[in-house]
Amino acid sequence: MAEPMELQLLCWGGDWDLPSVHTDSLVVLAYAKFAGAKLAVKSVDWTWRTITASVPQLYYEGSTVTEPTQILNFLRKQSFNADYELTAKQGADTMAYIALLEEKLLPALLHTFWVDAENYANLTRPWFTSHSPFPLNFFVPGRQASLALSRILLTKAESPLLNITEVEGKIYSEAKECLNLLSHRLGNFRFFFGDTPTSLDAFVFGHIAPLIKAPLPSGQLQKHLNQLDNLCQFCNTILKNYFTDATTEKRLDCSPTATHDPVDANLQKLTQLVNKESNLIEKMDDNLRSSPQHRPHRHEAKPSAMASERSST
Amino acid sequence: MSLAAEAFVSQIAAAEPWPENATLYQPLKEDQILLSDSASSLAVQTFLRMCGLPVLVSCRANAEYMSPSGKVPFIHVGNQVVSELGPIVQFTKAKGHALSDGLDDVQRAEMKAYMELVNNMLLTAELYIQWCDDYTATEISRPRYSNPYSWPLNHVLAYQKQWEIRRKMNAIGWSGKNLEQVYEDVSQCCQALSQRLGTQPYFFNKQPTELDALVFGHLFTILTTQLTSDELAEKVKSYSNLLSFCHRIEQTYFKEHEREGQFGSSRHSKSSLP
Repeated sequence: MAEPMELQLLCWGGDWDLPSVHTDSLVVLAYAKFAGAKLAVKSVDWTWRTITASVPQLYYEGSTVTEPTQILNFLRKQSFNADYELTAKQGADTMAYIALLEEKLLPALLHTFWVDAENYANLTRPWFTSHSPFPLNFFVPGRQASLALSRILLTKAESPLLNITEVEGKIYSEAKECLNLLSHRLGNFRFFFGDTPTSLDAFVFGHIAPLIKAPLPSGQLQKHLNQLDNLCQFCNTILKNYFTDATTEKRLDCSPTATHDPVDANLQKLTQLVNKESNLIEKMDDNLRSSPQHRPHRHEAKPSAMASERSST
Repeated sequence: MSLAAEAFVSQIAAAEPWPENATLYQPLKEDQILLSDSASSLAVQTFLRMCGLPVLVSCRANAEYMSPSGKVPFIHVGNQVVSELGPIVQFTKAKGHALSDGLDDVQRAEMKAYMELVNNMLLTAELYIQWCDDYTATEISRPRYSNPYSWPLNHVLAYQKQWEIRRKMNAIGWSGKNLEQVYEDVSQCCQALSQRLGTQPYFFNKQPTELDALVFGHLFTILTTQLTSDELAEKVKSYSNLLSFCHRIEQTYFKEHEREGQFGSSRHSKSSLP
Protein backbone atom coordinates (compact mmCIF):
# COMPACT_ATOMS: atom_id res chain seq x y z
CA MET A 1 0.00 0.00 0.00
CA ALA A 2 1.05 3.67 -0.19
CA GLU A 3 2.75 5.45 2.66
CA PRO A 4 0.65 5.55 5.82
CA MET A 5 -1.78 8.46 6.05
CA GLU A 6 -1.59 10.58 9.14
CA LEU A 7 -5.31 11.01 9.60
CA GLN A 8 -6.17 11.70 13.17
CA LEU A 9 -9.70 11.79 14.45
CA LEU A 10 -10.83 13.31 17.71
CA CYS A 11 -14.02 11.80 19.02
CA TRP A 12 -15.88 10.73 22.11
CA GLY A 13 -15.07 7.36 23.57
CA GLY A 14 -17.10 4.18 23.28
CA ASP A 15 -19.39 2.20 25.50
CA TRP A 16 -22.34 -0.18 25.23
CA ASP A 17 -20.61 -2.20 22.45
CA LEU A 18 -20.16 0.89 20.31
CA PRO A 19 -16.88 2.48 19.24
CA SER A 20 -18.28 5.86 20.23
CA VAL A 21 -21.44 7.05 21.97
CA HIS A 22 -21.60 10.29 20.02
CA THR A 23 -23.70 10.28 16.85
CA ASP A 24 -21.47 12.45 14.68
CA SER A 25 -18.31 10.61 15.71
CA LEU A 26 -19.96 7.28 14.88
CA VAL A 27 -20.88 8.56 11.43
CA VAL A 28 -17.27 9.46 10.67
CA LEU A 29 -15.88 6.23 12.14
CA ALA A 30 -18.32 4.11 10.15
CA TYR A 31 -17.59 5.95 6.90
CA ALA A 32 -13.87 5.58 7.42
CA LYS A 33 -14.29 1.83 7.84
CA PHE A 34 -16.47 1.58 4.75
CA ALA A 35 -14.05 3.59 2.64
CA GLY A 36 -11.00 1.83 3.98
CA ALA A 37 -9.38 4.92 5.49
CA LYS A 38 -7.05 4.25 8.37
CA LEU A 39 -7.76 6.69 11.15
CA ALA A 40 -5.72 7.19 14.27
CA VAL A 41 -8.56 7.64 16.72
CA LYS A 42 -7.94 9.79 19.73
CA SER A 43 -10.73 10.05 22.23
CA VAL A 44 -11.39 13.31 23.97
CA ASP A 45 -12.50 11.59 27.18
CA TRP A 46 -10.75 12.80 30.26
CA THR A 47 -9.07 15.66 28.43
CA TRP A 48 -9.77 19.36 28.39
CA ARG A 49 -10.87 19.00 24.82
CA THR A 50 -14.27 17.85 26.02
CA ILE A 51 -15.20 21.47 26.35
CA THR A 52 -12.84 23.22 23.99
CA ALA A 53 -13.02 21.12 20.86
CA SER A 54 -15.97 20.59 18.60
CA VAL A 55 -16.16 16.87 18.15
CA PRO A 56 -15.58 15.13 15.76
CA GLN A 57 -12.50 16.74 14.35
CA LEU A 58 -10.12 15.43 11.73
CA TYR A 59 -6.46 16.43 11.54
CA TYR A 60 -4.48 15.88 8.41
CA GLU A 61 -1.10 17.49 7.73
CA GLY A 62 -1.93 20.64 9.57
CA SER A 63 -5.49 21.21 8.37
CA THR A 64 -8.49 20.68 10.60
CA VAL A 65 -11.96 19.71 9.48
CA THR A 66 -15.08 19.56 11.65
CA GLU A 67 -18.70 18.56 11.03
CA PRO A 68 -19.46 15.11 9.63
CA THR A 69 -20.48 16.29 6.13
CA GLN A 70 -17.30 18.33 5.76
CA ILE A 71 -15.16 15.47 7.03
CA LEU A 72 -16.79 13.07 4.57
CA ASN A 73 -16.19 15.51 1.73
CA PHE A 74 -12.58 15.82 2.80
CA LEU A 75 -12.12 12.04 2.89
CA ARG A 76 -13.68 11.77 -0.56
CA LYS A 77 -11.19 14.28 -1.90
CA GLN A 78 -8.40 12.15 -0.44
CA SER A 79 -9.82 9.37 -2.61
CA PHE A 80 -11.49 7.45 0.22
CA ASN A 81 -14.81 7.28 -1.53
CA ALA A 82 -17.46 4.80 -0.46
CA ASP A 83 -19.99 6.36 -2.84
CA TYR A 84 -18.00 5.67 -5.96
CA GLU A 85 -20.43 3.21 -7.44
CA LEU A 86 -23.60 5.17 -6.82
CA THR A 87 -25.57 6.57 -9.73
CA ALA A 88 -26.44 10.26 -9.81
CA LYS A 89 -29.98 9.54 -8.65
CA GLN A 90 -28.71 7.48 -5.73
CA GLY A 91 -26.42 10.32 -4.76
CA ALA A 92 -29.42 12.65 -4.77
CA ASP A 93 -31.37 10.13 -2.67
CA THR A 94 -28.49 10.10 -0.18
CA MET A 95 -28.74 13.86 0.30
CA ALA A 96 -32.50 13.65 0.70
CA TYR A 97 -32.41 10.87 3.29
CA ILE A 98 -29.69 12.61 5.28
CA ALA A 99 -31.90 15.72 5.37
CA LEU A 100 -34.80 13.53 6.54
CA LEU A 101 -32.67 12.11 9.37
CA GLU A 102 -31.58 15.55 10.47
CA GLU A 103 -35.03 17.10 10.41
CA LYS A 104 -37.17 14.29 11.78
CA LEU A 105 -35.03 11.89 13.77
CA LEU A 106 -32.36 14.06 15.32
CA PRO A 107 -34.67 16.23 17.50
CA ALA A 108 -36.18 13.12 19.07
CA LEU A 109 -32.73 11.59 19.61
CA LEU A 110 -31.56 14.74 21.30
CA HIS A 111 -34.67 14.75 23.43
CA THR A 112 -34.29 11.09 24.42
CA PHE A 113 -30.70 11.45 25.53
CA TRP A 114 -30.46 15.02 26.78
CA VAL A 115 -33.84 16.45 27.66
CA ASP A 116 -35.87 13.54 28.98
CA ALA A 117 -35.36 13.84 32.73
CA GLU A 118 -35.07 10.17 33.59
CA ASN A 119 -32.62 9.30 30.82
CA TYR A 120 -30.53 12.37 31.38
CA ALA A 121 -30.24 11.87 35.13
CA ASN A 122 -29.63 8.13 35.05
CA LEU A 123 -27.64 7.55 31.91
CA THR A 124 -26.35 10.48 29.90
CA ARG A 125 -25.16 12.79 32.63
CA PRO A 126 -23.36 10.10 34.66
CA TRP A 127 -21.65 8.81 31.53
CA PHE A 128 -20.42 12.18 30.37
CA THR A 129 -19.52 13.25 33.88
CA SER A 130 -17.42 10.16 34.39
CA HIS A 131 -15.69 10.70 31.07
CA SER A 132 -14.71 14.30 31.64
CA PRO A 133 -11.82 15.54 33.78
CA PHE A 134 -12.31 17.52 36.95
CA PRO A 135 -13.59 20.31 37.09
CA LEU A 136 -15.13 20.06 33.64
CA ASN A 137 -17.41 17.26 34.71
CA PHE A 138 -19.64 19.89 36.29
CA PHE A 139 -20.06 21.81 33.06
CA VAL A 140 -19.87 19.49 30.08
CA PRO A 141 -23.16 17.58 30.42
CA GLY A 142 -25.11 20.70 31.34
CA ARG A 143 -23.79 22.60 28.38
CA GLN A 144 -24.60 19.80 25.95
CA ALA A 145 -28.08 19.49 27.42
CA SER A 146 -28.84 23.17 27.06
CA LEU A 147 -27.53 23.14 23.48
CA ALA A 148 -29.78 20.19 22.68
CA LEU A 149 -32.82 21.84 24.26
CA SER A 150 -32.30 25.10 22.46
CA ARG A 151 -31.88 23.31 19.15
CA ILE A 152 -35.16 21.44 19.59
CA LEU A 153 -37.04 24.53 20.68
CA LEU A 154 -35.72 26.82 18.00
CA THR A 155 -36.38 24.46 15.16
CA LYS A 156 -39.62 22.85 16.22
CA ALA A 157 -41.49 25.04 18.67
CA GLU A 158 -43.58 28.10 17.95
CA SER A 159 -41.73 31.22 18.79
CA PRO A 160 -41.74 33.32 20.88
CA LEU A 161 -43.53 31.16 23.43
CA LEU A 162 -41.06 28.31 23.44
CA ASN A 163 -42.42 25.41 25.41
CA ILE A 164 -40.98 21.93 25.32
CA THR A 165 -44.11 20.02 26.31
CA GLU A 166 -46.00 21.14 23.23
CA VAL A 167 -43.42 19.78 20.85
CA GLU A 168 -42.62 16.51 22.62
CA GLY A 169 -45.52 14.61 21.15
CA LYS A 170 -44.88 16.00 17.70
CA ILE A 171 -41.17 15.22 17.58
CA TYR A 172 -41.64 11.66 18.79
CA SER A 173 -44.36 10.92 16.30
CA GLU A 174 -42.25 12.39 13.51
CA ALA A 175 -39.26 10.32 14.63
CA LYS A 176 -41.29 7.11 14.65
CA GLU A 177 -42.56 7.92 11.19
CA CYS A 178 -39.01 8.55 10.05
CA LEU A 179 -37.86 5.19 11.42
CA ASN A 180 -40.75 3.48 9.62
CA LEU A 181 -39.79 5.21 6.38
CA LEU A 182 -36.18 4.10 6.76
CA SER A 183 -37.32 0.56 7.44
CA HIS A 184 -39.51 0.57 4.32
CA ARG A 185 -36.64 1.91 2.26
CA LEU A 186 -34.15 -0.66 3.60
CA GLY A 187 -36.52 -3.57 3.04
CA ASN A 188 -34.66 -6.85 2.96
CA PHE A 189 -31.38 -5.53 1.66
CA ARG A 190 -28.19 -5.58 3.64
CA PHE A 191 -27.40 -1.94 3.02
CA PHE A 192 -29.36 0.94 1.56
CA PHE A 193 -27.82 0.73 -1.90
CA GLY A 194 -27.19 -2.96 -2.44
CA ASP A 195 -24.39 -5.00 -0.95
CA THR A 196 -21.74 -2.40 -0.21
CA PRO A 197 -22.16 0.27 2.44
CA THR A 198 -22.12 3.95 1.50
CA SER A 199 -22.22 7.29 3.27
CA LEU A 200 -25.98 7.01 3.80
CA ASP A 201 -25.41 3.77 5.70
CA ALA A 202 -22.83 5.58 7.82
CA PHE A 203 -25.29 8.36 8.67
CA VAL A 204 -28.15 6.01 9.49
CA PHE A 205 -25.86 3.80 11.55
CA GLY A 206 -24.52 6.78 13.48
CA HIS A 207 -28.03 7.91 14.38
CA ILE A 208 -29.68 4.64 15.30
CA ALA A 209 -26.82 2.70 16.88
CA PRO A 210 -26.78 4.66 20.18
CA LEU A 211 -30.54 4.34 20.30
CA ILE A 212 -30.40 0.58 19.94
CA LYS A 213 -27.50 -0.09 22.26
CA ALA A 214 -27.83 2.40 25.09
CA PRO A 215 -29.50 1.07 28.24
CA LEU A 216 -32.15 3.78 28.44
CA PRO A 217 -34.45 3.77 31.48
CA SER A 218 -37.35 5.35 29.60
CA GLY A 219 -37.10 4.76 25.91
CA GLN A 220 -40.34 4.80 23.94
CA LEU A 221 -38.41 5.50 20.77
CA GLN A 222 -36.07 2.64 21.56
CA LYS A 223 -39.01 0.26 21.95
CA HIS A 224 -40.36 1.40 18.61
CA LEU A 225 -36.99 0.88 16.97
CA ASN A 226 -36.59 -2.59 18.44
CA GLN A 227 -39.74 -3.63 16.65
CA LEU A 228 -38.18 -2.74 13.31
CA ASP A 229 -36.14 -5.88 12.81
CA ASN A 230 -34.38 -4.94 9.62
CA LEU A 231 -32.93 -1.78 11.12
CA CYS A 232 -31.63 -3.67 14.18
CA GLN A 233 -30.17 -6.30 11.88
CA PHE A 234 -28.55 -3.59 9.76
CA CYS A 235 -26.94 -2.05 12.82
CA ASN A 236 -25.68 -5.37 14.17
CA THR A 237 -24.30 -6.34 10.77
CA ILE A 238 -22.22 -3.20 10.60
CA LEU A 239 -21.00 -3.64 14.16
CA LYS A 240 -20.04 -7.26 13.61
CA ASN A 241 -18.42 -6.74 10.22
CA TYR A 242 -16.59 -3.50 10.73
CA PHE A 243 -16.14 -2.85 14.40
CA THR A 244 -14.90 -6.07 15.96
CA ASP A 245 -11.19 -6.44 16.84
CA ALA A 246 -8.54 -7.54 14.35
CA THR A 247 -8.48 -11.30 15.05
CA THR A 248 -12.16 -11.82 14.51
CA GLU A 249 -12.19 -9.28 11.66
CA LYS A 250 -10.05 -11.52 9.44
CA ARG A 251 -12.41 -14.41 9.93
CA LEU A 252 -15.45 -12.28 9.23
CA ASP A 253 -14.10 -10.62 6.11
CA CYS A 254 -14.55 -13.61 3.85
CA SER A 255 -17.79 -15.06 5.16
CA PRO A 256 -21.09 -13.44 4.24
CA THR A 257 -22.89 -15.21 7.06
CA ALA A 258 -20.95 -13.37 9.68
CA THR A 259 -23.98 -12.72 11.82
CA HIS A 260 -24.31 -16.37 12.76
CA ASP A 261 -20.78 -16.47 14.14
CA PRO A 262 -21.18 -18.12 17.57
CA VAL A 263 -23.48 -20.74 16.09
CA ASP A 264 -21.01 -21.41 13.30
CA ALA A 265 -18.13 -21.76 15.74
CA ASN A 266 -19.92 -24.49 17.65
CA LEU A 267 -20.93 -26.17 14.45
CA GLN A 268 -17.35 -26.11 13.22
CA LYS A 269 -16.09 -27.77 16.36
CA LEU A 270 -18.76 -30.40 16.14
CA THR A 271 -17.96 -30.99 12.49
CA GLN A 272 -14.30 -31.48 13.31
CA LEU A 273 -15.15 -33.99 16.02
CA VAL A 274 -17.43 -35.86 13.69
CA ASN A 275 -14.79 -35.85 10.97
CA LYS A 276 -12.19 -37.26 13.36
CA GLU A 277 -14.57 -39.94 14.45
CA SER A 278 -15.40 -40.86 10.89
CA ASN A 279 -11.67 -41.10 10.09
CA LEU A 280 -11.24 -43.58 12.93
CA ILE A 281 -14.27 -45.50 11.76
CA GLU A 282 -12.83 -45.59 8.26
CA LYS A 283 -9.59 -47.06 9.53
CA MET A 284 -11.47 -49.66 11.52
CA ASP A 285 -13.57 -50.32 8.51
CA ASP A 286 -10.52 -50.99 6.36
CA ASN A 287 -9.35 -53.54 8.83
CA LEU A 288 -12.76 -55.11 8.93
CA ARG A 289 -13.12 -55.06 5.14
CA SER A 290 -10.07 -57.14 4.71
CA SER A 291 -11.88 -59.91 6.57
CA PRO A 292 -13.92 -62.01 4.20
CA GLN A 293 -17.31 -62.28 5.96
CA HIS A 294 -18.43 -58.59 5.39
CA ARG A 295 -20.28 -57.58 2.22
CA PRO A 296 -18.58 -55.05 -0.16
CA HIS A 297 -21.52 -52.56 -0.51
CA ARG A 298 -21.12 -51.41 3.09
CA HIS A 299 -17.89 -49.76 1.92
CA GLU A 300 -19.87 -47.67 -0.59
CA ALA A 301 -22.53 -46.68 1.92
CA LYS A 302 -20.03 -45.29 4.43
CA PRO A 303 -18.30 -42.62 2.24
CA SER A 304 -21.61 -41.31 0.92
CA ALA A 305 -22.94 -41.02 4.46
CA MET A 306 -19.80 -39.14 5.51
CA ALA A 307 -19.98 -36.89 2.42
CA SER A 308 -23.60 -36.00 3.13
CA GLU A 309 -22.67 -35.34 6.74
CA ARG A 310 -19.93 -32.94 5.68
CA SER A 311 -22.16 -31.08 3.22
CA SER A 312 -24.93 -30.60 5.79
CA THR A 313 -22.60 -28.94 8.27
CA MET B 1 -51.16 21.49 18.27
CA SER B 2 -50.91 18.46 20.47
CA LEU B 3 -51.53 15.03 19.00
CA ALA B 4 -54.97 14.68 20.53
CA ALA B 5 -56.07 18.02 19.14
CA GLU B 6 -54.77 17.07 15.71
CA ALA B 7 -56.71 13.81 15.72
CA PHE B 8 -59.83 15.72 16.79
CA VAL B 9 -59.40 18.26 14.02
CA SER B 10 -59.02 15.62 11.34
CA GLN B 11 -62.13 13.87 12.57
CA ILE B 12 -64.10 17.06 12.26
CA ALA B 13 -62.46 17.78 8.94
CA ALA B 14 -63.58 14.48 7.54
CA ALA B 15 -67.17 15.32 8.28
CA GLU B 16 -67.57 18.30 5.94
CA PRO B 17 -66.77 18.76 2.27
CA TRP B 18 -64.49 21.53 1.05
CA PRO B 19 -66.42 24.83 1.15
CA GLU B 20 -66.42 27.46 -1.55
CA ASN B 21 -65.15 30.25 0.64
CA ALA B 22 -61.89 28.70 1.82
CA THR B 23 -59.32 31.43 2.26
CA LEU B 24 -55.55 31.49 2.29
CA TYR B 25 -53.88 34.24 4.28
CA GLN B 26 -50.44 35.60 3.60
CA PRO B 27 -48.62 38.89 4.26
CA LEU B 28 -49.11 41.80 1.88
CA LYS B 29 -47.96 40.90 -1.56
CA GLU B 30 -46.69 44.20 -2.80
CA ASP B 31 -44.88 45.58 0.19
CA GLN B 32 -44.44 43.12 2.98
CA ILE B 33 -43.98 39.52 1.98
CA LEU B 34 -40.47 38.12 1.90
CA LEU B 35 -38.90 35.46 -0.29
CA SER B 36 -39.28 32.52 2.09
CA ASP B 37 -42.90 33.28 2.99
CA SER B 38 -43.77 33.88 -0.63
CA ALA B 39 -42.27 30.52 -1.55
CA SER B 40 -44.23 28.68 1.14
CA SER B 41 -47.43 30.44 0.16
CA LEU B 42 -47.01 29.64 -3.50
CA ALA B 43 -46.31 25.99 -2.62
CA VAL B 44 -49.62 25.75 -0.74
CA GLN B 45 -51.54 27.48 -3.52
CA THR B 46 -50.05 25.13 -6.09
CA PHE B 47 -50.90 22.10 -3.99
CA LEU B 48 -54.52 23.20 -3.62
CA ARG B 49 -54.80 23.85 -7.34
CA MET B 50 -53.35 20.44 -8.07
CA CYS B 51 -56.05 18.94 -5.88
CA GLY B 52 -58.64 21.03 -7.67
CA LEU B 53 -59.74 22.81 -4.50
CA PRO B 54 -60.76 26.47 -4.81
CA VAL B 55 -59.17 28.93 -2.43
CA LEU B 56 -59.22 32.71 -2.20
CA VAL B 57 -55.97 34.45 -1.46
CA SER B 58 -56.26 37.22 1.08
CA CYS B 59 -53.34 39.47 1.99
CA ARG B 60 -53.18 40.77 5.53
CA ALA B 61 -50.47 42.70 7.28
CA ASN B 62 -50.80 40.66 10.45
CA ALA B 63 -51.06 37.25 8.78
CA GLU B 64 -48.10 35.93 10.76
CA TYR B 65 -49.81 36.74 14.05
CA MET B 66 -53.13 35.29 13.01
CA SER B 67 -51.53 31.98 12.16
CA PRO B 68 -51.87 29.23 14.80
CA SER B 69 -48.21 28.26 14.55
CA GLY B 70 -46.72 31.65 13.78
CA LYS B 71 -45.86 30.67 10.24
CA VAL B 72 -47.48 31.69 7.00
CA PRO B 73 -49.39 30.75 4.96
CA PHE B 74 -52.44 29.40 6.68
CA ILE B 75 -55.84 28.46 5.37
CA HIS B 76 -59.22 29.12 6.90
CA VAL B 77 -61.62 26.36 5.92
CA GLY B 78 -65.08 26.14 7.44
CA ASN B 79 -64.32 26.76 11.08
CA GLN B 80 -60.79 25.41 11.13
CA VAL B 81 -57.46 27.12 10.68
CA VAL B 82 -54.46 25.12 9.48
CA SER B 83 -50.99 26.47 8.76
CA GLU B 84 -47.95 25.19 6.87
CA LEU B 85 -47.83 22.74 4.00
CA GLY B 86 -47.42 19.55 6.08
CA PRO B 87 -50.54 19.96 8.22
CA ILE B 88 -52.49 21.31 5.22
CA VAL B 89 -51.68 18.16 3.25
CA GLN B 90 -52.94 16.03 6.14
CA PHE B 91 -56.03 18.20 6.45
CA THR B 92 -56.95 17.84 2.79
CA LYS B 93 -56.29 14.13 3.04
CA ALA B 94 -58.80 13.91 5.88
CA LYS B 95 -61.29 15.64 3.60
CA GLY B 96 -60.67 13.00 0.96
CA HIS B 97 -58.34 14.77 -1.48
CA ALA B 98 -54.86 13.35 -1.68
CA LEU B 99 -52.19 13.43 -4.37
CA SER B 100 -49.80 10.82 -3.05
CA ASP B 101 -52.17 7.88 -2.62
CA GLY B 102 -50.84 6.09 -5.66
CA LEU B 103 -47.34 5.83 -4.25
CA ASP B 104 -46.08 2.70 -2.54
CA ASP B 105 -44.20 2.79 0.74
CA VAL B 106 -40.71 3.18 -0.69
CA GLN B 107 -41.82 6.01 -2.96
CA ARG B 108 -43.59 7.72 -0.12
CA ALA B 109 -40.40 7.50 1.94
CA GLU B 110 -38.51 9.08 -0.96
CA MET B 111 -41.09 11.82 -1.34
CA LYS B 112 -40.92 12.74 2.33
CA ALA B 113 -37.13 12.65 2.23
CA TYR B 114 -37.01 15.03 -0.73
CA MET B 115 -39.51 17.38 0.91
CA GLU B 116 -37.25 17.49 3.94
CA LEU B 117 -34.29 18.17 1.68
CA VAL B 118 -36.06 21.19 0.24
CA ASN B 119 -37.04 22.40 3.70
CA ASN B 120 -33.64 21.74 5.17
CA MET B 121 -31.55 23.27 2.41
CA LEU B 122 -33.57 25.60 0.23
CA LEU B 123 -35.75 27.15 2.88
CA THR B 124 -32.88 27.52 5.34
CA ALA B 125 -30.72 29.05 2.62
CA GLU B 126 -33.51 31.52 1.79
CA LEU B 127 -33.82 32.49 5.43
CA TYR B 128 -30.06 32.83 5.72
CA ILE B 129 -29.79 35.07 2.70
CA GLN B 130 -32.66 37.24 3.86
CA TRP B 131 -31.68 37.69 7.47
CA CYS B 132 -28.06 36.75 8.11
CA ASP B 133 -26.58 38.55 5.12
CA ASP B 134 -26.25 42.11 6.40
CA TYR B 135 -26.63 43.84 3.08
CA THR B 136 -29.82 42.02 2.11
CA ALA B 137 -31.23 42.38 5.60
CA THR B 138 -30.69 46.12 5.64
CA GLU B 139 -31.81 46.84 2.09
CA ILE B 140 -34.69 44.46 1.68
CA SER B 141 -35.77 42.26 4.56
CA ARG B 142 -36.09 44.69 7.43
CA PRO B 143 -37.80 47.48 5.50
CA ARG B 144 -40.25 45.08 3.89
CA TYR B 145 -41.01 43.06 7.00
CA SER B 146 -41.94 46.11 9.05
CA ASN B 147 -43.55 48.09 6.25
CA PRO B 148 -47.12 48.27 7.66
CA TYR B 149 -46.01 49.53 11.03
CA SER B 150 -45.03 52.99 12.17
CA TRP B 151 -41.97 54.06 14.06
CA PRO B 152 -40.71 52.79 16.53
CA LEU B 153 -42.62 49.52 16.20
CA ASN B 154 -41.18 48.79 12.79
CA HIS B 155 -37.62 48.82 14.10
CA VAL B 156 -38.47 46.68 17.10
CA LEU B 157 -40.31 44.02 15.11
CA ALA B 158 -37.71 43.85 12.36
CA TYR B 159 -34.81 43.45 14.71
CA GLN B 160 -36.71 40.94 16.82
CA LYS B 161 -37.37 38.76 13.79
CA GLN B 162 -33.79 39.06 12.66
CA TRP B 163 -32.49 38.07 16.08
CA GLU B 164 -34.84 35.11 16.19
CA ILE B 165 -33.74 33.83 12.79
CA ARG B 166 -30.08 34.29 13.65
CA ARG B 167 -30.54 32.30 16.84
CA LYS B 168 -32.08 29.49 14.84
CA MET B 169 -29.20 29.53 12.35
CA ASN B 170 -26.81 29.36 15.24
CA ALA B 171 -28.59 26.35 16.73
CA ILE B 172 -28.44 24.33 13.54
CA GLY B 173 -24.88 25.27 12.76
CA TRP B 174 -25.42 27.55 9.78
CA SER B 175 -24.06 30.67 11.41
CA GLY B 176 -20.50 29.61 10.63
CA LYS B 177 -21.22 29.54 6.91
CA ASN B 178 -20.51 32.42 4.59
CA LEU B 179 -22.64 33.42 1.62
CA GLU B 180 -20.56 31.47 -0.87
CA GLN B 181 -21.05 28.23 1.02
CA VAL B 182 -24.78 28.86 1.20
CA TYR B 183 -24.95 29.37 -2.57
CA GLU B 184 -22.96 26.18 -2.97
CA ASP B 185 -25.48 24.31 -0.79
CA VAL B 186 -28.34 25.66 -2.88
CA SER B 187 -26.56 24.50 -5.99
CA GLN B 188 -26.10 20.99 -4.58
CA CYS B 189 -29.72 20.83 -3.55
CA CYS B 190 -30.81 21.88 -7.04
CA GLN B 191 -28.49 19.31 -8.53
CA ALA B 192 -30.04 16.58 -6.37
CA LEU B 193 -33.54 17.69 -7.40
CA SER B 194 -32.52 17.90 -11.03
CA GLN B 195 -31.07 14.39 -10.98
CA ARG B 196 -34.14 13.00 -9.29
CA LEU B 197 -36.44 14.70 -11.79
CA GLY B 198 -34.43 13.59 -14.83
CA THR B 199 -36.60 13.81 -17.93
CA GLN B 200 -39.88 13.00 -16.24
CA PRO B 201 -42.73 15.53 -16.21
CA TYR B 202 -43.16 15.29 -12.45
CA PHE B 203 -41.07 13.82 -9.66
CA PHE B 204 -43.15 10.67 -9.50
CA ASN B 205 -43.69 10.33 -13.20
CA LYS B 206 -47.19 11.03 -14.38
CA GLN B 207 -48.94 12.43 -11.34
CA PRO B 208 -47.99 15.58 -9.48
CA THR B 209 -47.59 15.25 -5.73
CA GLU B 210 -47.00 17.65 -2.87
CA LEU B 211 -43.28 17.41 -3.57
CA ASP B 212 -43.86 18.97 -6.99
CA ALA B 213 -45.90 21.74 -5.39
CA LEU B 214 -43.19 22.46 -2.82
CA VAL B 215 -40.34 22.46 -5.32
CA PHE B 216 -42.30 24.66 -7.73
CA GLY B 217 -43.15 27.11 -4.96
CA HIS B 218 -39.54 27.60 -3.97
CA LEU B 219 -37.93 27.57 -7.40
CA PHE B 220 -40.48 29.85 -9.04
CA THR B 221 -40.18 32.36 -6.23
CA ILE B 222 -36.40 32.30 -6.40
CA LEU B 223 -36.47 32.83 -10.14
CA THR B 224 -38.93 35.69 -10.09
CA THR B 225 -37.79 37.64 -7.05
CA GLN B 226 -35.29 40.40 -7.26
CA LEU B 227 -32.75 40.36 -4.48
CA THR B 228 -29.61 42.40 -4.08
CA SER B 229 -27.79 40.02 -6.38
CA ASP B 230 -28.94 37.54 -8.98
CA GLU B 231 -26.66 34.77 -7.91
CA LEU B 232 -29.37 32.62 -6.31
CA ALA B 233 -31.49 32.74 -9.45
CA GLU B 234 -28.46 31.96 -11.56
CA LYS B 235 -27.77 28.82 -9.54
CA VAL B 236 -31.27 27.57 -10.22
CA LYS B 237 -31.21 28.57 -13.90
CA SER B 238 -28.21 26.40 -14.58
CA TYR B 239 -30.44 23.31 -14.36
CA SER B 240 -32.57 23.31 -17.47
CA ASN B 241 -34.90 20.50 -16.51
CA LEU B 242 -35.88 22.39 -13.36
CA LEU B 243 -36.64 25.48 -15.48
CA SER B 244 -38.84 23.53 -17.84
CA PHE B 245 -40.51 21.87 -14.82
CA CYS B 246 -41.42 25.31 -13.46
CA HIS B 247 -42.69 26.48 -16.87
CA ARG B 248 -44.82 23.39 -17.21
CA ILE B 249 -46.49 23.76 -13.82
CA GLU B 250 -47.04 27.46 -14.38
CA GLN B 251 -48.68 26.75 -17.74
CA THR B 252 -50.81 23.91 -16.43
CA TYR B 253 -52.08 25.31 -13.18
CA PHE B 254 -51.81 29.07 -13.28
CA LYS B 255 -52.14 30.42 -16.79
CA GLU B 256 -55.46 28.76 -17.51
CA HIS B 257 -57.15 30.58 -14.66
CA GLU B 258 -56.22 34.05 -15.94
CA ARG B 259 -55.97 35.75 -12.63
CA GLU B 260 -54.45 39.16 -13.15
CA GLY B 261 -53.76 40.11 -9.59
CA GLN B 262 -52.08 36.84 -8.85
CA PHE B 263 -48.79 37.42 -10.55
CA GLY B 264 -48.93 41.15 -11.11
CA SER B 265 -45.60 42.84 -11.23
CA SER B 266 -44.34 44.62 -8.20
CA ARG B 267 -41.25 46.34 -6.99
CA HIS B 268 -40.08 43.11 -5.55
CA SER B 269 -41.09 40.40 -7.96
CA LYS B 270 -41.12 40.08 -11.69
CA SER B 271 -44.29 38.89 -13.35
CA SER B 272 -43.31 35.67 -15.03
CA LEU B 273 -40.37 33.46 -15.72
CA PRO B 274 -37.60 34.92 -17.90
